[in-house]
Amino acid sequence: MSSRLIDIITAGDPNARNSSLDAFCRAASLAELLDECAALEAFRRASDNLYERVRALFFLYAIHRFHLPEKPDLTGFGKPVRSTLIPYDGYTHLLQRRFEEAIDCFLALQTAHGPSDSISSALAEAYHRLGFQTLADQVRRSVRSVRGNQWMFRTGHPADHPLRVRRELLQRSGEGLFPVLHEATPVRMDLSHSGWSDIFFLGMDFPEGARVLNVSIDLAVHGRDPAPRPPVEAYLRVIDEPLLRLVSVDLGAVAEITNLAEVFDYARDYLGLLKAAIIAAGIIPPGMEGSGERLQDLLARLVGSGRGLELVSQVNGIPKGSRLAVSTSLLACLIAVCMRATGQTQALTGMLQEHERRLVAARAILGEWLAGSGGGWQDSGGVWPGMKLITGQLAGPDDPEYGVSRGRLLPGHHIMGEDEVPAATRARLQDSLVLVHGGMAQDVGPILEMVTEKYLLRSEAEWSGRQKAMRIYDEIVGLLQRGDVRGIGDATTRNFFDPIQTIIPWANNLYTTTVIDRVRAAFGDDFWGFWMLGGMSGGGMGFIFEPARRVEAQARLHATMLATKRELENALPFAMEPVVYDFAINARGTFAELRADVEALMSPAYYTLMVPALLKRERYALTLARRAELDRFGAACRTDPALSGMMQTLFDRIIPRADHEDTAHRDLDALLDELGFDRIQHEQIRADLHSGRIGLAQNRLPASTVIEDVYPSDVANLEAGSWKLEARSWKLEAGSWKLEAGSWKLDPASSIQYPVSSIQLGQQALHEGRVAVVTLAAGVGSRWTHGAGVVKALNPFCKLGGKHRSFIEVHLAKSRRVGQMAGAPIPHIITTSYLTHEPIRDFLAQRDNYGYTGPLHFSPGRAVGLRLIPTARDLRFAWEEMPQQLLDEQAQKVRESLHAALIGWAQQMGESSDYRDNLPQQCLHPVGHWFEIPNLLKNGVLARLLEERPQLEVLMMHNIDTVGADVDPALLGAHLDSGAAMTVEVITRRVEDRGGGLARVDGHLRLIEGLALPQEEDEFKLSYYNSNTMWISIGKLLDLFGLTRADLRDAAKIDAAVRAVAARMPTYITLKDVKKRWGHGQEDVFPVAQFEKLWGDMTALPGMDCRYVIVPRMRGQQLKEPAQLDGWLRDGSAAYVEGLCEWA
Amino acid sequence: MHITKAVITAAGRNQRTLPLQTLTDRDGVEKSVLAILVEEAISAGIEDIAVVVAPGDEAPYAAVVGDHAGRLRFIPQTEPRGYGHAIYCAKDFVGDAPFLHLVGDHLYVSAEAQSCAQQLVAVAEAENCAVSAVQATRESLLPYYGAVGGKRVAGRKDLYEIDTVIEKPTPTEAELRLIVPGLRAGHYLCFFGMHILTPAVMEILESRIKNHESRIGGSANQRITLSEALAVLATREKYLALEERALRYDVGVKYGLLIAQLALALSGSDREDVLTRLVELLATRALGRNA
Repeated sequence: MSSRLIDIITAGDPNARNSSLDAFCRAASLAELLDECAALEAFRRASDNLYERVRALFFLYAIHRFHLPEKPDLTGFGKPVRSTLIPYDGYTHLLQRRFEEAIDCFLALQTAHGPSDSISSALAEAYHRLGFQTLADQVRRSVRSVRGNQWMFRTGHPADHPLRVRRELLQRSGEGLFPVLHEATPVRMDLSHSGWSDIFFLGMDFPEGARVLNVSIDLAVHGRDPAPRPPVEAYLRVIDEPLLRLVSVDLGAVAEITNLAEVFDYARDYLGLLKAAIIAAGIIPPGMEGSGERLQDLLARLVGSGRGLELVSQVNGIPKGSRLAVSTSLLACLIAVCMRATGQTQALTGMLQEHERRLVAARAILGEWLAGSGGGWQDSGGVWPGMKLITGQLAGPDDPEYGVSRGRLLPGHHIMGEDEVPAATRARLQDSLVLVHGGMAQDVGPILEMVTEKYLLRSEAEWSGRQKAMRIYDEIVGLLQRGDVRGIGDATTRNFFDPIQTIIPWANNLYTTTVIDRVRAAFGDDFWGFWMLGGMSGGGMGFIFEPARRVEAQARLHATMLATKRELENALPFAMEPVVYDFAINARGTFAELRADVEALMSPAYYTLMVPALLKRERYALTLARRAELDRFGAACRTDPALSGMMQTLFDRIIPRADHEDTAHRDLDALLDELGFDRIQHEQIRADLHSGRIGLAQNRLPASTVIEDVYPSDVANLEAGSWKLEARSWKLEAGSWKLEAGSWKLDPASSIQYPVSSIQLGQQALHEGRVAVVTLAAGVGSRWTHGAGVVKALNPFCKLGGKHRSFIEVHLAKSRRVGQMAGAPIPHIITTSYLTHEPIRDFLAQRDNYGYTGPLHFSPGRAVGLRLIPTARDLRFAWEEMPQQLLDEQAQKVRESLHAALIGWAQQMGESSDYRDNLPQQCLHPVGHWFEIPNLLKNGVLARLLEERPQLEVLMMHNIDTVGADVDPALLGAHLDSGAAMTVEVITRRVEDRGGGLARVDGHLRLIEGLALPQEEDEFKLSYYNSNTMWISIGKLLDLFGLTRADLRDAAKIDAAVRAVAARMPTYITLKDVKKRWGHGQEDVFPVAQFEKLWGDMTALPGMDCRYVIVPRMRGQQLKEPAQLDGWLRDGSAAYVEGLCEWA
Repeated sequence: MHITKAVITAAGRNQRTLPLQTLTDRDGVEKSVLAILVEEAISAGIEDIAVVVAPGDEAPYAAVVGDHAGRLRFIPQTEPRGYGHAIYCAKDFVGDAPFLHLVGDHLYVSAEAQSCAQQLVAVAEAENCAVSAVQATRESLLPYYGAVGGKRVAGRKDLYEIDTVIEKPTPTEAELRLIVPGLRAGHYLCFFGMHILTPAVMEILESRIKNHESRIGGSANQRITLSEALAVLATREKYLALEERALRYDVGVKYGLLIAQLALALSGSDREDVLTRLVELLATRALGRNA
């Protein structure tokens, strides 16, 4: 079968090979695209070449995700509703990572029923995941087959263990101390950022484009540390106990491991990285996993009978998210020390040789895979000294990648000598550059996936961006050789504002932009440039200044970052306070020394951590070496000036100062009192949860409930195809209101239409001010920032109209536009809760309500809950009984180990007890959006609004993240015309739309929450997903509550009415993630239980007359996770929303 | 190349008594380990043999070699400076001739009519170069041996051209540097304890010993290995490895002597007798345990 796209994939000519998919697809018809899909599908199954397969998979993904849904004839409309249902079997295959089976299942359905938006969404998901799985498999194979790593996978028995600890480490001092091997490693700084070209997949397919300029640096936190030093350190020594002692000094974690299985249990504690290093260094070879052998036998072979090893890691106060590859550097440092100790490097101390550095880098990749994390191939650059060019390499006949991919897994390193970059230039760079950590710590994983995807698709703008980034790389290398630091600043700035953001717009954010603007304003021409480090900005960043002003710049930049953080900390996820670093280029790379005899001690911080526990034990219970060590340490404390403050530090640790937790508890109790926390209700919920009367399993309706899909006549269809939004000529009439019915294009082919009169009715109602908007903003959007406690409503999530806009700004801009068109401003109500009220109020006040001139009201929440430690039963239900997305093999192992640890945590903390071990704000929770409409009654906002505008009839309620919802006259008119109490907007389901939908429940048409469905598969019978945008008739709602407009001033009556209706609403127990922050930017995520009531259940009330209407996806879709943003931008959704907005 | 000299090293301070142990040889005659080794050398046409010993061991060693004492010269190694140094002690003895080298704590049992030494000498004479006997060894045993990397000699299944030698490599190093096509995964060519060496080895050892002495101020703490000299040899001249199908027995390890004795007996004239007694032994021990 001839196929244009296969020709592109297989083309030998780079120009043809680099052709864009988008250009072809835009011009192709639906039939042509489907033919191409069939050809690509056959091609990818037949091809042996990794990159042909992967590129075909990504083409298929993109066609199904972006191009087919745009074709006008691909829609569920007009077809039997059932044809668009996604089969549960296929979905289960997806969850279980059986992607080929899932694809077969979806394709069979497409063949039987024709293409549809839903099936395309499912196919897109399956192709996307299979593409990444194929790539990940290849990286894993390459890592395993790197020479020097292979034997570790073959070694499965202690008797086969071929390593021995070097003799030097076994020679005790006279006192009985074993020597300590100390390794210190710099971190790496990427001076070029050539478009994330250090992603493995990129380097392996496009080695010519994979190039970075990587500098090894030592760091100090400005104002705290005396001088820069290598940020990561590792210590290793033999101990006279047959166990493995792992210590993370900076995380305060210690484990004495006596069992082989525990070494492979990565997420059990904070020592996953040390375990990965032990394994990747071959001390406990990966082939030992699951062997059932005894650790002490293995140690006997390795170190000698009755002996073990102690491995200690220490990060010198450099916070997480620094974008300096601290964790990969630490892993490499640990691996290097382990390899030295077991004779896998020639020298026990000093620098490493080139082939040894390469092996350490390869092992670090292996270690990252083992521990379920990931990084780029330049991240272990700190192992090498000074400045180096790291470049992708074509695979040669001796490489395991040869014939599989164009490039090698491991790049080449060229260390730049002083002849290339003179010492003066290095000094000048150090004198000009201010390195900072802006305080934001975000997961860059999704960004790296986006980069890979865009590279494989060769999307036009992004591909040209990549070419530009490559040219800037060449320019930076040239400038460096010429010593032009100012030029470098200019180049890195251009890089950030042009190619980097062309490829990934999300690399920038409002915080970074604001800080850059303020620095530029303050320093003018003396600010030479900005430079993004690593995957995205906001964390580690560089600012280049005229050297004479660097010291001043360090202070002012710190103040600027602090002030900007204060302004934005409710809107963006900050993990810590911003810091400024001092740095120095490290000319040694990773470096080791042996501390023997009187110097055989660990770091002071190690003793601060370990000594208190040792002192609690009887001296005779300590081993000979421990006793000798304590004596030695005691002597050193008395004589060594470096340890002069140690006694006080130890004293403080043994007898801690006033407990912060007590204060936190008092704050929490005060807050609960202030917020009117209902203790009696809370006790009841806690008791019910504890006894098992409520819980995740109890959320479900009885198993005998019959769940069916709706009948076609149950829903009105306003999906794309039945009418078009483009002809909004009534906008032109803004100011003088006219009904312009003729401007609405109606599709005569649609079977169910709204009459033109509906639209006119809606326009009239708008003009008369009979509608208000209610934006639900009481929740924090846990999924948006993974429990970081940021107010989602304020999150400047995307650049629209040339600026970063928050969710609230977008909603106000839509209301402004409709208000202008209608000639009457629309009242806008923002519901808030204790968590969001003040931040939203203040944020809007500072920004003058984004210039919104219509009435703007806040409706503060009146209910608050206290989070609970979940029960082990519910955790097991959520993780073991509910269908879960299976992860890649190793990541899944890590997750299972984490789940076991979290269940242990819940049991240890006390199941169903109050969750108090966090900041007070993080212990509370809003109680579900059901309460937000009754709150309007209780807090008097509705009463005031009705007094101001008695004509108000309808509320359009929507979620904060339904950014496409505006006050559409057609929908408003339809609602008014129907006379219903509530009109609910639904969208055709795609595979990612999970959480219930529109159903016939025992024959009764209503919305049902996903967690209430009796069986998981029931959801897949439902064609429509709830967008949670609802048009509510105020009069009918009050009727349901048994109230009249006059009653809205009677608080007691309202309370009673709300309580009565609330009692009829089900209470759901849900698990949410909450972050606990500690240390230097460290974050732990805990699952906590909370309860909520949801508004959708109102549709189940007998007195509630509801209508349902299908709306276009772009209007009804919700933004739940930042990872959705890129697709949202690319599939035209962002442009659609921009078209609805009128910015101030 | 004609090989008439052999050097046996037996100067290890912790294995001084090993060559004195008495075993019954394949022909049923009681002999010392040293005598068996000497006969192995003689079988390959060797005429003069030097034994490098710890000072003071000359007389007891001479006493256990019986009729061969006349061919032997004992060379004392005055300081324990390593294996390489022990060989170097025989420098004057070998002069500028190639020589067979055996270690004093191993016994070799050939599976073929030709003894191991005969095979090795034949190859060295035919190829006119240094040859080391090697055996494919599992990577778990790498901590005990020197190992080589190289390419197979065209047309020969058991002959390799050595390009790298590493003493007791880690498997990491072995995988990276000791690549030998045709071996099973996880197997490397490790030394068998028997070599034909050229005078160049002595030169290399000499320069290394001098180098060490100058670096550490004449102190003899640093031990010189033979492998480091052979690594240099491989870069200087043609150097081959012969893959041996024979078995070697380290008499210095636990039960080493017993196993070596059994191996000799089971491959010699008393095989039937020994086998019968062994079976009897097995049967009675099993009975005893069951009872």
